[in-house]
Amino acid sequence: MSNSKQKSINSGLRLKTFLNDWMIVFLFIILFALSCLNPNFRTTTNIMNILRQASFVAIIAMGEFFVILVGHMDMSITSTINIVSIFFAGFVVNNGIPMGPAFLIVLFMSIFIGIINGLLVVYGKVPSFIATLVVMNILKGLSYIYSGGLPISGLPSSFGDLALGKLGVVPYALILMVAVAIILYIFSEHTAVGRSFYAVGGNSEASKLSGINIKFVIILAFVICAILSAIGALGLTSRTLSGNVTLGDNILFDVMTICVLGGTSLSGGKGRVVGVVIGTLFLQVISNIMVILGVNTYLQWVVKGLILIVVVLIDSRSKKE
Amino acid sequence: MTKETKSGSPLIELKDCTKLFPATVALDQVSFTVYPGEVHALVGENGAGKSTLVKCISGEYIMNEGELTVEGEKINLKEYNVREAQNRHIGIVHQEFQLMPEMTGIENIYVGHYSKKGPFVDWKALEARAKKLFEFLGSDVNYNVPVKSLRTADKQIIQLARALALDAKTIIFDELTAVLPEADINNIYRIIDLLRENDIGIIYISHRLDEIFDICDRYTVLMDGKHVETGDVENLTKDRLIQLISGRELTKVYPPVPDSVTEEVFLELKNLSGKGFKNINLTANRGEVVGIAGLVGAGKTELLQALFGNNPVTSGEIYIDGKKTKTPTPQVAIKKGLGLIPDERRLLGLNRVFDVQKNATLASLDKFKIANVFMNQKQETAETEKVMDQLNLKYYSLKQNINTLSGGNQQKVVVGKWIIADTELYLMDEPTRGIDVGAKSEIYYLINDLVSRGKCVILVSPELEELLGLCHKIYVMYEGEICYETERADFSQEEIMTYLLGSGKIAH
Repeated sequence: MSNSKQKSINSGLRLKTFLNDWMIVFLFIILFALSCLNPNFRTTTNIMNILRQASFVAIIAMGEFFVILVGHMDMSITSTINIVSIFFAGFVVNNGIPMGPAFLIVLFMSIFIGIINGLLVVYGKVPSFIATLVVMNILKGLSYIYSGGLPISGLPSSFGDLALGKLGVVPYALILMVAVAIILYIFSEHTAVGRSFYAVGGNSEASKLSGINIKFVIILAFVICAILSAIGALGLTSRTLSGNVTLGDNILFDVMTICVLGGTSLSGGKGRVVGVVIGTLFLQVISNIMVILGVNTYLQWVVKGLILIVVVLIDSRSKKE
Repeated sequence: MTKETKSGSPLIELKDCTKLFPATVALDQVSFTVYPGEVHALVGENGAGKSTLVKCISGEYIMNEGELTVEGEKINLKEYNVREAQNRHIGIVHQEFQLMPEMTGIENIYVGHYSKKGPFVDWKALEARAKKLFEFLGSDVNYNVPVKSLRTADKQIIQLARALALDAKTIIFDELTAVLPEADINNIYRIIDLLRENDIGIIYISHRLDEIFDICDRYTVLMDGKHVETGDVENLTKDRLIQLISGRELTKVYPPVPDSVTEEVFLELKNLSGKGFKNINLTANRGEVVGIAGLVGAGKTELLQALFGNNPVTSGEIYIDGKKTKTPTPQVAIKKGLGLIPDERRLLGLNRVFDVQKNATLASLDKFKIANVFMNQKQETAETEKVMDQLNLKYYSLKQNINTLSGGNQQKVVVGKWIIADTELYLMDEPTRGIDVGAKSEIYYLINDLVSRGKCVILVSPELEELLGLCHKIYVMYEGEICYETERADFSQEEIMTYLLGSGKIAH
């Protein structure tokens, strides 16, 4: 093959990879531009509102992202969110524990949950879907036993700043999300451990034979996921200042959609933290514009479902090539 | 293998077939004909277009230009597909097993074509059909047990039976014997002869050139998607065939074995036993290529995997650089200077989502660090580039996906991975499996280069010729034990064969 021909093929391939990588960004820009046609959408308040709401979902999605990246799936995030929310509120409101220590306790709880998930998958060789589904139900039971299913309200109003506070016009939540995203971006793309996540998801057996501690990597992925779920849970809890056992019930679907939208391969080994953030914004803008346009909640579910299926179809098609 | 078998009208006639892929011209106006009762070898390097050609015939691909005539009838390409090809009596036996492991032989053979009694499967009729088929094949493979419990060779016979069960008149053998020991190959040869006598046309793809001389009548050589030559095997010599395929001469395939063996013992095994091997005593010096010969299932792979910490060792001792040691996990093995080039390159050697660079540095991520935390990607790129150029890798960017490389070049990346990781002992498990003559030769030169630099290589290969051409010392394994050891000066192919087949061990 001649050199010039090779070159043109290369640039063709590069363009294709470029389009694949940045597709979601283009779509997002188009969506955003269209949404801006609506005067109720394009106000600073509304945009900041979107960013604020997106922030905690993005943090949770970034956690799930790491589990998907290593080729697994964590179904238990919904219950992790619920149990963190209800226990944190319980500790602070019922037991009078100060928020700092209470935060540390739920943080350790989440780490423990992550480790259990990881151990079941790595040593128990239980498919992650089943292992985390079981953990999800156990956690659900525990949080209902603890609270009787009732919300625990009365958290100090200062806690509400987490969700509602602002620095100028910029919500604290957004700052927190950007900070988490930057740390995770550096972790995933500029550290050796981060590289191992991609390696394990791409081919765990080959990674093992290249000296990567795949057990450690998988457990770590579940732990990261649980910790970020806990942080996200506290953010969501602070909106209403009350712990709630159903807080995270509908979030798993959104989180999966976000990860796939952001270019994460469900079979593992592919995806970027930045993609997850953009995926979250994408979904949040759609939700927001639907609310503004008065689309009812149930129809919103249908629309979100259609979005997920379209993205998955595009993903599986591109893989066939 | 008489000429008159070539009589009659052709079964398959492919004219000026051109197949384009987004980035390449896979086939460029290739013509190809198969007659009833002939075994037609299709040879060429990887990427020459062999697979593409048979896929155009079997309906997996539709060619962009050209004509296909099957049994005298011109095919309407728009309506051609795998199902249609089956209906037109074209069968294919893949190298990689396309069998359902939990189902029995019968279930596999007739899947999609079960005999029926009303809505139910008529097992009696199926059993009778299978019996007839296996009587015809003269084979006693047990087709009533799940195929996962069968030996490799028997699985291939089941696959073959599946092609025949669909009343195939043309059968495509895609590297059928690539993973079989001699005895089973002979059985396959017998069956191929039988098919030939029954006027079935066979397209035979193989990287083992000897097989072509053993059983093929005619050959067609492809190179870079173009037709090179078609002719009778009778008038062909091996040297010429290699020249046709690669433009190289045979003598240059194996480089001269360097006089590189030092006195320094790098690895010593004493009575090492584990899953699949027992009482292994072996030494490998720096600068030495140590070969391990043996049939499929002799325990060669198990031994290498155990040394590399991926298969448990139950007893015995491992000494590395004179120190008694253990390699319980690959991580530890790598720290001690070992590197494994596994037999299943795609499954075990490479991460197919990764680009060239990330594959190459996967085993040495700790080497490229800033402040002990962050990856030093500049240094990583520089080192990868250096090693890949040293390996003469054909690539255009370190960021290109590993899948876009040819098999031989992929294998170079696997070897390069260990060079980057400063490996001292290279455990090579069939390093040239499924790669073409040209790339094989490059791997051979690479092995020589490694030992010349004082590294140590343990080479496992199903091809005796390869071991004889490269090793300083050969161990022969049979049923998990080493039964013979020989130095380069005393190499005797017959002797090694005898022990390989287990005959050397029969003392009583």
